[in-house]
Amino acid sequence: MKEAFVMVGFLEITLVIFMQWQVYLKKIVDTFSLSSYAISIFLFVDGAILNNINLLILSALTAVVRGFFIPFFIRKKFRKEYYLEREIKSVVPTAMSIVLSLFFVVVGYIVYHATLYNSIGLPGGSIPIALLFQGIFLIMSRNNAFVQLIGYMVMENSLFLFGGYLFPELPLVIEGGILLDLIGIVMISGIIMRLREENVSNIIDEFKEFKG
Amino acid sequence: MFLYYLPLIVTVSAAVICFAANDKISKILTLISASVSIPVSLYIWVLNSVSTQFLYIDAISKIMLVTISIIYLTTSIFSSSYFKHIPKPLLKKNLYWAFLNLFVLSMFFSVMVNNLGLIWIGIEATTITSALLVAIDNNFPSIEASWRYIIIVSVGLVISLVGIIFIYDQTHTLNIANMLKNHASESRIILIGSAMAIVGFGTKAGIFPMHTWLPDVHGRSIAPVSAIFSSVLLPSALFGIIRISQIAPFEDIKQFMFILGILTIVFASIFMINQKYYKRMFAYSSMENMGMILIGISLGKAGLLGAMILLISHAFAKSSVFYLTGNILSAYKTRKIAHVYSLVKNMPYTAYGLILSSLAVTGAPPFAIFIGEFFIISAVYHIYGFAYVIIILLALLTAFLSINYKVAKMSFSERKSTQKTKDEWVSALIPLINLTLSFCVLFAIPAINNILKGITG
Repeated sequence: MKEAFVMVGFLEITLVIFMQWQVYLKKIVDTFSLSSYAISIFLFVDGAILNNINLLILSALTAVVRGFFIPFFIRKKFRKEYYLEREIKSVVPTAMSIVLSLFFVVVGYIVYHATLYNSIGLPGGSIPIALLFQGIFLIMSRNNAFVQLIGYMVMENSLFLFGGYLFPELPLVIEGGILLDLIGIVMISGIIMRLREENVSNIIDEFKEFKG
Repeated sequence: MFLYYLPLIVTVSAAVICFAANDKISKILTLISASVSIPVSLYIWVLNSVSTQFLYIDAISKIMLVTISIIYLTTSIFSSSYFKHIPKPLLKKNLYWAFLNLFVLSMFFSVMVNNLGLIWIGIEATTITSALLVAIDNNFPSIEASWRYIIIVSVGLVISLVGIIFIYDQTHTLNIANMLKNHASESRIILIGSAMAIVGFGTKAGIFPMHTWLPDVHGRSIAPVSAIFSSVLLPSALFGIIRISQIAPFEDIKQFMFILGILTIVFASIFMINQKYYKRMFAYSSMENMGMILIGISLGKAGLLGAMILLISHAFAKSSVFYLTGNILSAYKTRKIAHVYSLVKNMPYTAYGLILSSLAVTGAPPFAIFIGEFFIISAVYHIYGFAYVIIILLALLTAFLSINYKVAKMSFSERKSTQKTKDEWVSALIPLINLTLSFCVLFAIPAINNILKGITG
């Protein structure tokens, strides 16, 4: 399964880089859905090989919650002309964001080999760390709340990939609880994001308070 | 055993019914639920510590339960009188009560469970249940603050989840009782895991450098929400750090916590100097107090005793401060310090309450915060020497002068105006009760010391 882990890991990294250069929100959500399905398939195969029922349940939960429900919910929260919804201006220019994304892959590799490699000994262990960095960067480099939420979920996806592979015996109640929390976060965020779009304020004075 | 579950049962029942009930019934149910929680928590305080498959209630849990219960009741009473000041609330009143109950439920859950993973889930659940409470004012800044809160805190908590997985790798269990029984040996992976967990939980507790959500949320949410956030939500997140420090009691981890605590109080006090908004100023004061508590936790023994005294006393005093800022905001319609004046003349109870509460939260004697800080600073002197004591004292002095000078200015400065304001009795009384409780913590110090004996040695 080591090769499969590395392959799925690289696929995840590629998909996040794809998200990084996308401006259309629907495509970003679809890409996130695809990346979740990839993790779900990996967990399913791993669970089948190890004959581990927890992993099989986790795989099903990942597919249903992360692959289907959350992208479906986010798409519903888009405006009617959602296919047109795009982020016109991001904090970091697209080309630079891709370069930085690749840079974080290298940083993840260096950090992993400097700190955890001797303890864990997993050859592709730097992949989840790189994904964590990329998730954080996606949040920081975009203004759009939907993309920021997806950045957060990319971070969580990296954990599911890492935790599911290295610690298949991790109690299911914990991972189930994390998924339930995620559903809660997404639903509450959906409300807040919608309000945020509807209430966009041009009164600069209202933002002065947020400084300092 | 049923008694231990009662705080959870009462709050979850109140929350569920509030979703279906009308405003009045929701309010009454919440008040009943909060009133029941206090005697139950006090009774749990005198009972033996308990460790079952699901529950782990030790001295720290008991302290947290009592503090949360009392703040739950005072916030519920204050909310019922404050709600009329919100012109177009985001939620219907019954939903406000429902989310308030769920929020308290998630804090009760976090401090009672016997599983590190479930503590994480509980603390993450506090974000879900409180995000809409932050945005209740229903204007763009409060919605923006709520969004920043969700995203920053959630990212921080993912970092702590990575840390918890690393800890699990070494301990092969997340059961707290088992982890405390079979101490994990010091290894690089458990050190990294513990540090990540501390940074993650520290994000929620307003610990530097992931504190940035805190002033936005405290500054923009309504007074009762700011009060409950500052007084019990931040300590509930610190509770996660306490558990980590018990599971991984290594010197490197203690030093890491100590440095984070020092950085937090130094940066918070610097931010307070030029602060133009009174709610944000008190938010930074909360950050400074959480930094001091973190230092106390890192030192253990007398430091931990000081941290617990500070935690309880700060909860009462800071909730009092935020209730009072709500009174000022509803009367003066501004958050700017420069635009608030003649408080003593216009709202005497609020003014004197604010002056005394500000003195309390900045560690003036004879309030218990002073005693808590004294214990912590003594422990710092014994372990790290005089240089760190000087840094801490300078930071505390800066915070003391910044806050009390600005509060005095708001209270005593005179200006010609047609401002017609007066105190409302519930809004003025509840903060004064909490202020009195903050002082009375002094008399509870022997009881706190006694209950902590098993932990502080």
